[in-house]
Amino acid sequence: MSTVAQPRTFASPLAGRHAQLRSIGSSLAAVILALILGGALMAIAGGDPISGYRAMIDGVFGTPYGMGQALILAAPLTIIGLGLALAFKGRVYNIGAEGQFLMGALGAGAVAIVVPIHAGALLVLLAILAGILAGVFWGGIVGVLRARFGVNEVITSLLLTYIAGFIFSWSIRDPFHAPGVSGLQGKAVPENTIFPTFTSLYVHPGVFAAIALVPIVAYLMARTPFGFRVRMLGLNADAAEVAGVPRGRMVVWLMVVSGGLAGLAGAIQIFGVADRLDPSISAGYGFTAIVVALLGRLRAFGVLLAALFFAVLQSGGQAMSVNEDLPYAIVLAIEGTFVVFLLIADRLARR
Amino acid sequence: MDWNEVIGPAAAVTLAGAGLQSAMPIAVAAVGECVAERSGVLNLGLEGMMLSGAFTSFLATYHTGSPVVGVLAGIGVGILLGAVMAFLSVTLKTEQIINGIAIVLFAQGITAFLFDDLFKGSQRPTIERLPDIKIPVLGSIDRVDSIVNQNWLFWISLAISIGVWLMLERTRFGLTIRAVGESPQAADSVAVDVARIRWFALLVCGAMAGLGGAVLVVGQLNLFDTNVTAGRGWIAIALVIFGRWKPPIILAGAFLFGFADALQFRVQAVSGGINSSVPYEFFQALPYLVTLIVMVTATIWARRDAQPAALGIPFRKGVGS
Amino acid sequence: MSDAVVMRAIVKHFGGVQALKGVDLTVRTGEIHALLGENGAGKTTLMNVLYGLVPADGGTIEVDGRPLEAASPQDSMRAGIGMVHQHFMLVPTLSVAENMILGDRGKAVLRRGELRAVSARLAEIGERYGLEIDPSARVWQLSVGEQQRVEILRALYRGARVLILDEPTATLTPMETESLFAKLRAMGEAGTSVVFITHHLDEVMGWSDRITVLRQGTRVGELDTAQTSPGELARMMVGRDVELMRVAAGERRMVVAGSGVHGGAALTVSGVSANGDRGTSALRDISLTVEAGEILAIAGVEGNGQPELEDVLYGLRPVEKGTISVAGHDVTALPPAERLEHGIALIPSDRYRRGLIRDLSVADNLVYDRIDSQPFGTPLTVNRKAIRTHANELVERFGIRVSGPDQMAGTLSGGNAQRVVLARSLSRDLKCLIAAQPTRGLDIGAIEVVWEQLAAARDAGAAIVLVSTDLDEVMSLADRCGVLYRGRLIATWRRDELDREQIGLAMGGKVGPRSDQSDVPEQVS
Repeated sequence: MSTVAQPRTFASPLAGRHAQLRSIGSSLAAVILALILGGALMAIAGGDPISGYRAMIDGVFGTPYGMGQALILAAPLTIIGLGLALAFKGRVYNIGAEGQFLMGALGAGAVAIVVPIHAGALLVLLAILAGILAGVFWGGIVGVLRARFGVNEVITSLLLTYIAGFIFSWSIRDPFHAPGVSGLQGKAVPENTIFPTFTSLYVHPGVFAAIALVPIVAYLMARTPFGFRVRMLGLNADAAEVAGVPRGRMVVWLMVVSGGLAGLAGAIQIFGVADRLDPSISAGYGFTAIVVALLGRLRAFGVLLAALFFAVLQSGGQAMSVNEDLPYAIVLAIEGTFVVFLLIADRLARR
Repeated sequence: MDWNEVIGPAAAVTLAGAGLQSAMPIAVAAVGECVAERSGVLNLGLEGMMLSGAFTSFLATYHTGSPVVGVLAGIGVGILLGAVMAFLSVTLKTEQIINGIAIVLFAQGITAFLFDDLFKGSQRPTIERLPDIKIPVLGSIDRVDSIVNQNWLFWISLAISIGVWLMLERTRFGLTIRAVGESPQAADSVAVDVARIRWFALLVCGAMAGLGGAVLVVGQLNLFDTNVTAGRGWIAIALVIFGRWKPPIILAGAFLFGFADALQFRVQAVSGGINSSVPYEFFQALPYLVTLIVMVTATIWARRDAQPAALGIPFRKGVGS
Repeated sequence: MSDAVVMRAIVKHFGGVQALKGVDLTVRTGEIHALLGENGAGKTTLMNVLYGLVPADGGTIEVDGRPLEAASPQDSMRAGIGMVHQHFMLVPTLSVAENMILGDRGKAVLRRGELRAVSARLAEIGERYGLEIDPSARVWQLSVGEQQRVEILRALYRGARVLILDEPTATLTPMETESLFAKLRAMGEAGTSVVFITHHLDEVMGWSDRITVLRQGTRVGELDTAQTSPGELARMMVGRDVELMRVAAGERRMVVAGSGVHGGAALTVSGVSANGDRGTSALRDISLTVEAGEILAIAGVEGNGQPELEDVLYGLRPVEKGTISVAGHDVTALPPAERLEHGIALIPSDRYRRGLIRDLSVADNLVYDRIDSQPFGTPLTVNRKAIRTHANELVERFGIRVSGPDQMAGTLSGGNAQRVVLARSLSRDLKCLIAAQPTRGLDIGAIEVVWEQLAAARDAGAAIVLVSTDLDEVMSLADRCGVLYRGRLIATWRRDELDREQIGLAMGGKVGPRSDQSDVPEQVS
């Protein structure tokens, strides 16, 4: 795609006074609008918005366990979201994080099941590494195709996501099928690789890993030459090239990093939540993370906040659907409207 | 698995017929996308528009029993989303890629909710299959009949696609659209309203995407499920690149895809899904894999100037290039 | 008979800036009227108002005695105003005939027969005014001079009786300029009035009947050409006696004394050929050397390969054949990132697109090519304080007018923006600097700064390749000079051999002594 005159992209900062405030403000506005819409949908579905939202909140904040579940949900969203925020900042639109997530889960699970090491900790580490590399590979293909041949990364990453889905399905059905079980279920990973849970919130180490990554990525983006160059690339790729930023290499790096992080998230899901290769391993985290990254204004801490918000929404949404007999699909609808509202709010904030 | 059952002579013609049917939704959407892109707007929301058109046409047909109403409803919703895309990309001038993704997410979310809400409990709701129209001469020849005897929706869609193609290449209006996508400043300097042309192009694109979704559901599958379009919108966009923004090649590419899709269906049906040398998931993945390869080769081989020069760049009056 | 155009008290603001402060202009029927002023004086804005591209905030316009409400180009076109812009407003992928009918009202459907009618009419107009062109040719296939012809034809096709030309000679050789004005003169005799915008004094003196001089949005003079002189015009344009304007008027050559002592060959280009964006050959067998401490100017009319040369020297475009080396190192295959490390820097011809990042601060723009080296940062950190200090220094040294180093680069005016680009490149350890059209669109003050800085860099030992379509610039700065014509480097002269006329002829492809002019042979490719 041509990069002649740069449009005012998501990556370019709001100019003028109180840019930060306006930026946060428009995210907030989008959230509020979406929640109002959600309330309307609840009403349409025959429920009561107030009790619907209350059920959500109770479901999450009512018990330590509920909060823990939300945190566990937030972990993959955060990890993937961080990678996407970085990539989007450089205008590398990795829409295929879902596929990279799946490949990461598959890689990690496969290694854990197949490799004959008995030390649990070592096996887990190896498996997670395999998951990261799987994500790196799956994302790297997209990056190379764009860097070398100029092929649009949105479409290639999406096509690869569909393909990853089929590979995953096949793995569960055939080579890694759970023995003795009919229907689609994959083998369990060795007992000693499954994450223990901590604290009264019953969270697994992946949650801590996710939280730890936030300041690291924040630093990377704001205080390193690499982060600076990513910004340059996103704002004006032509000028960046003249300035000596290696365009092609940066694109590949961004796909590799975001792919690797998505793969990491997939690996963590295996050992922290699913305990096996399971078709339900992903509830569309790779796609939700796109909205998380955008809502978080492509900033690390913003991503964390957005991920937590989504986790509350989804986790609470499950409680709501059980207790209030409202379809979970409302949550999907609300999530779907965020970006549209965000775009409008953002544009108004620029005036 | 008996390959003869898949691509033996008898099977091959049924396959071709099914392939044509399978191709049409994508073909229609792709030609619509071509119009949008020729005017300079990269519409990545196509998948969402198709899905919305699919759902709406299914809903309308289900409740009114009339496929015509259904198709019109699908087109209407497509136009609506086309307007949203135009509003975001042309009027607000926000980043087109994000706008498109926003629309896809929006459509997926809302259709999931509505389908769940409106069809709670019904087991796999379906609508009636459209009858095939028997073509006078060819339609009676054995073997050929399975290829040419398609339903009326197929023929209408084909006619519309060709019509839009002719509009783009042979009319004054199509010339204006193409000019706007190549050099909006030049068009602006001769008093062409760039924004209005792009709005129109997006409405056409939305209409055709909606039609594509309707054809998929009303003309081919006769059912709806969440995400029934399964990436066809993305494949349509890839086809536009493959076709170098020229509708005839795009249509050819769509038929290629349709054939691959039909093949994949057939393999699943024949093999029964268990114990064959090549797993059926491979065939399921095949259309996407083929599209990927096609996209890559098309991008490498196509001359850089086949792409509309102003694609993806919002037009601001008075700003020089 | 009423005047062709009368504009009274035209006012225009752009945001906070007043571009036109109440300007009057009178164009008599059939005359060639020059609109003179330096870059930024408001000449193009005034004509954009007349042509309906930009609405005026105040004032009136009369065309042929009738008032004109110029709300859009269509209004103006209907009144008989036609405009040929500096940057052509043609759609490259369409044919000439298709460009003609673009924007016309007419039958929506079939075009076949229509195109034939258009072609016929084009042929007729073309013959009448000596502006022949092939109506079915695609615009991108035409040379720059031919494209200008199409633009003029389009205005005439639409019935223009007043023709506005914005900097028409920027893309023409001296011979083409002569030929153009001869045709304009013929048009004048047939009743068509011509207004041409320029900042070149010699053109004004040579080709106009009357002149309107603008300075900073105000009209400072309206004179008969026969009754004025370049010196007087220069003073009116700038408001003070400026050395540079004397240079521009051809009265003096700016002596920017080169020390005459050169180092070894800093840049060697050997047999380089390269293709343009559409795959056609743009550069053919270019060979040149530049020594440390000298400025090699590459003159030439736009459209002969300058952008491709700029790209190739800096690594933004691959070479099909040939080599490029800097101080003995072969850099032919290296991308810009690595060329920077070898001491090559580029001042790009398109400063807003490739020279600056608008959404970064001025301070960031001043260091963004070496953000990971000391003292601005290590691979793991960025030293904000050092960046600030550096920025303050450079702002001072180069006279960049900013409210502070944190100001966004996108808000800078042309002159200031170019100062930032210069500052960034010149504060490096330079072996070789490629300066492409460095003073394009700048006002006198900024041009002075740029020339001084380039000379200073040269004196400090850098080898400079100056690619410029501005003959004044070439005459002032070149230690040696070559001419780029159709992708080939033809003719080189040393400073003491520089002759404006010779260069002008070479720009049009004619080399050899006056008595023995020959055309440069077309390459058989």
